Amino acid sequence: MRQTTVLFVLLAGALSLALFSVKYQVQDLEGELVDLNRSIKVEQQAIRVLKAEWSHLNNPERLRGLAERHLGLDQVRPEQMQTFQNVSGKRGVWLGE
Amino acid sequence: MSDQDFLPAPAENTVLNREDAPRIHFDGSKNSAMETGRNRLLVTGMVVLLAFTVVGGRLITLATSSPDTDKKIARATAKPNAVGRGKIVDRRGVILAASLPIASLYANPQGILDADEAADKLAEILPDLSREELLVKLRGKGQFVWLRRNLTPQQVYDINALGVPGVAFADSERRVFPHGRVASHLLGMTDVDGKGIAGVERYFDDTLSNDGGRVQLSIDLRIQAILHQELTSVVARFNALGAAGVILDAQTGEVTAMVSLPDFNPNDVGTLHGEAGFNRVTKGVYEMGSTFKLLTAAMALDSGKVLLQDRYDARKPIRIARFRISDFYGKNRWLSVPEILIYSSNIGAAKMAMDLGGKAQKAYLTKLGLLRQSTVELPEVGTPLSPARWRDINTMTISYGHGIAVTPLQMAAAIATVVNGGYYRPPTILKKDKPKPGAEIIRQIFSEKTSGQMRNLMRLVVSRGTGKKANVPGYRIGGKTGTAEKQGNGGYRKKALISSFVAAFPIDAPRYVLLVLVDEPKGNKSTYYSATGGWVAAPTIANLVRRIAPMIGIRPVLEGDKPKTGKSKISKRRRAPVKAAFVPSSRKFVERARERSGAH
Repeated sequence: MRQTTVLFVLLAGALSLALFSVKYQVQDLEGELVDLNRSIKVEQQAIRVLKAEWSHLNNPERLRGLAERHLGLDQVRPEQMQTFQNVSGKRGVWLGE
Repeated sequence: MSDQDFLPAPAENTVLNREDAPRIHFDGSKNSAMETGRNRLLVTGMVVLLAFTVVGGRLITLATSSPDTDKKIARATAKPNAVGRGKIVDRRGVILAASLPIASLYANPQGILDADEAADKLAEILPDLSREELLVKLRGKGQFVWLRRNLTPQQVYDINALGVPGVAFADSERRVFPHGRVASHLLGMTDVDGKGIAGVERYFDDTLSNDGGRVQLSIDLRIQAILHQELTSVVARFNALGAAGVILDAQTGEVTAMVSLPDFNPNDVGTLHGEAGFNRVTKGVYEMGSTFKLLTAAMALDSGKVLLQDRYDARKPIRIARFRISDFYGKNRWLSVPEILIYSSNIGAAKMAMDLGGKAQKAYLTKLGLLRQSTVELPEVGTPLSPARWRDINTMTISYGHGIAVTPLQMAAAIATVVNGGYYRPPTILKKDKPKPGAEIIRQIFSEKTSGQMRNLMRLVVSRGTGKKANVPGYRIGGKTGTAEKQGNGGYRKKALISSFVAAFPIDAPRYVLLVLVDEPKGNKSTYYSATGGWVAAPTIANLVRRIAPMIGIRPVLEGDKPKTGKSKISKRRRAPVKAAFVPSSRKFVERARERSGAH
C-alpha cells in the first residue's frame, strides 16, 4: 500500500515536471513563431521593394545609357546580324576584343 | 463448473460473500461517520475517474489524429499578408506599377526628452525640414504630430540609429511606377488613397484592389521605351505640340507599345496638368489624311470594282459643290492605282472611292470599327467623328482621310486588318493567351489576295514613293505617309499639320503595324522647312524599325539575299555567303562608339 502511494506520488511529480517543461517549450516555440511570421512579413516587404527597384534599374533607357557610356555599345546595324551559316565560312573573324 | 452454478441464487450468494468478508461493526455515531466517509470517497472516486476518462479520451484523439487535420498547429504563415494593391506587369513580367510599403515619421511631443537635440538630429537626416519647423512641432501640446511622410529606407535606418525617444514610424503604402514617364498614359495614376483615377489603374481598379490581383498588359516595355524615346526626339526636333505613337501586333491585335506626348510622371501628381493627361492614342480623334488612302485602295480592290491596273485621270482638280480637290504632289497625268498611292494623289483616291460607292465605303468603315468607339480596355476612349449624311462629297474627302476623324489606335487596327490577310481583331492592351483554334471570333474583311496586293503597294510607297525616308536597308518596310491640315475657325489651317506615317513590317509577313502621328510639327532647315508626314514621321518609323527588329529577332534581308517569300523557307541559295555582309573590325567599332560617348 505504501509502495503504491510512493510510486504514484513520484509519477505525479514527474508528470507535472514534464508538463511544466513542455508548456514552457510550447510558449517559447509560439514566441519563435510570432517572430518568424514577423520577419517573413518584413522579408516579403523587402522583396517587393527590391523587385520594384530591380524593375527600375532595368529601365531600358537607363540600360541603353549605361551601355553607351561604359561599354561603348551602339545600336545593332542590319549588317551585324548574321546566321551561323554565313559566319561558319569565314574563319578568324574577330568579333570583339 | 456444473450447471448448478448458473442457477439463480443471487440473494444467497450475496449473503454468503458478506459473511465471508471481514466486517467491522461500529455503533451509533461512529457508524454513521464511517458511512459518510465511504460515500464521500465514492463520489471523489467517481469524479476522478470521469476526469481521467476525459483526459484519456483526449490523449487517444491526439495520438491517433493524422497531422494534416491539425494544420493550424505550429505553422509559419508563409502566405503574403495584406499585400495591398496588385501589380501591373508588361508582357514579359516586368513590373510597371507596384504598391510599396512606405514608412512615415510621427512624434509624440510629450515623449520627447530634449526637443532641441532631437530637432538638430532629425534636421540633419531630413534636409527638407528646417530645424525651427521641427522644434515647433516637437514642442507642441498634442500627443501626435506628423513629421514627414514617405521616407526612404535609408532615412528610416538613420532615424532608427539616432535612437531619439518619442518619434516612431507608421506603415503605409505608396503606388510606385518604376519606369516613370515611359508608359504614363497607359498606366494612368492613383490618387492619395490608392484608387485608380486614370488609365489601366482606373479601368482595372476592381481587379487591382483585390489583394494580389495582377494585371498583365500586352505592352513590351523595351519597345515601349524605344517608342517613347523616338517620339520625344521627334517632338523636340520639330518643335511640335505633341505626338502619338502606337505599335500593334498585326496578327493578334495586341498593343505592343503606346505613347502619347506630352506626358506626365505618374510618380508625381504635380506633372499632370493641361494637355499632359490627354491620351492622344485612344482619346484623340484626328483626320488622318493620306494614310486613309490605303483603306480606300483596299476597299476598292476588295470589292472587285477596281483593278490594280485601272487608271484614273488626275490631270485636273475635281470641283464638287463649293470644294476643290487637288493633289499635293501633282503629277497632272493619268495615274494607275499603285501610282495613286505612290504619289499620294487625292484626285485618284476620290475617283476610286466614287467607283466603290459611298454605301460600300461606309459598310467597310463600319466593319473596320472606325465609326464607333473602340473597345480597348481604357477609360479614355474617343468617339470618332463621321458625317451624319453620307453624300458624294463625303465619300470623296473620306477617301483621302478628311471629313472623318478616328483615333490613332483605331487607324492602326484597320491597317493591321489590311496587311494581315484581311482579319479584323479589336485592339487590346491585355496580353492574350495563345487562342484555341476556333475560340476566337475573327471577322475577315478583306480577302487574302487584296491583303497581298496592299502589302506590295505599301512596299512600293516606301521603296519609290512619298515614304522613302522610312526605308531601312535590310528590313522590308511598307507604309504610307499622311499629312492633314488641322481644322481651325471654319476651315483648314495651311500651316498647322497633323503629319503621320503608318507602316507594317516585315511587309511580306507583318509582325507589327506602327503608327506615328506628330501634331503641328514645324519644318526646319534639315527638312527644307517641310513638315509633311514623309519628312517628319517617316524617319521616326525607320528609327523604330532599326531598333526594334534586332530585338525581336527579325533577320535583315541584305542585298544579294533573296527576299523571303512564303513558300521557299529553306532554299539552297541561302547557303551562299552574302556579299554585302561584313563584321566590322573591332577597332573601328570601338572608335565609333567612343566618338559617340564623347558627344554625350
